Amino acid sequence: MSLVARHLEAEGIPTVILGSAKDIVEHCGVPRFVFSDFPLGNSAGRPFDEASQRQTLELALRVLESAPAPRTTVQSPLRWTGPATWKRDYLDLSKLSPDAIAQRKKEFDVVKTVARGRREAT
Amino acid sequence: MTTAATETKAVLAPEEDGPVQYMQRTRDYYVALGYDNPYRWAYFDDVPFTPLKAPLARTRLGLITTAAPFQAEAGDQGPRAAYNAAAKFYKVYSLPTHSVPDLRISHVGYDRLHSSAEDINAYLPLARLKEAVAAGRIGELAPRLHGLPTNRSHRTTTETDAVEAARRCREDGVEAALLVPN
Repeated sequence: MSLVARHLEAEGIPTVILGSAKDIVEHCGVPRFVFSDFPLGNSAGRPFDEASQRQTLELALRVLESAPAPRTTVQSPLRWTGPATWKRDYLDLSKLSPDAIAQRKKEFDVVKTVARGRREAT
Repeated sequence: MTTAATETKAVLAPEEDGPVQYMQRTRDYYVALGYDNPYRWAYFDDVPFTPLKAPLARTRLGLITTAAPFQAEAGDQGPRAAYNAAAKFYKVYSLPTHSVPDLRISHVGYDRLHSSAEDINAYLPLARLKEAVAAGRIGELAPRLHGLPTNRSHRTTTETDAVEAARRCREDGVEAALLVPN
């Protein structure tokens, strides 16, 4: 998505990204970015929390209006509900036994094969 | 001293409360799984920048998402569905914004442990955008939203998908765009 933001911007269309993977988006380098420090999959606000979604969108609109230069990141002040321990869990190897890792590899090989099949059929 | 007293009162967040280092985490994970060719994320020195040409209240805003249209034949795409590669798509798609499209995220690696993808508004801000248009905050919403494939090479995204998404945005008269990856 970062690559598309860059392309649109170069074509004269201003953009803002709503996202939760701060390092990935900033590494690429995008014009404007609103970072929500939430588990992946909630870039537009907390689920079933319209006020949070409204606040996230409004922040994006303000960043669109007022970013002074490219690579502008604004972090949403909103926090995920509950403790921050969710951050430990994403692809956490420390909880996986060698058997579990082997099982994950098997599953990922299946995912890759299915994805390749879909891609080639498109 | 007053300064020292103020400093000691500052409440520091725990170190692990910083943003997740997804690139490092992902590299380590796939190396541990036995893949020896770690993914390289795109990196650029230069970043293009285009200011808004008119106030937002007179601007036509476009929406771009990585969510996927529900496909009846593609297996479980519901809340808490396992990673579903069969639900992936490999061409830019467009759908009207006047209705509410059935878009899912079972085809990407969202946080399934702490998040369930039950509320489309957490990953597709279409309803909130319509409210903002009704309130006069945004001039109008483009007639279509556009879907961007994931799981692509940098080259395909840059030379094919981004070009196609931009073409469709121009076709729709989009003057600014909100991009929401998942």
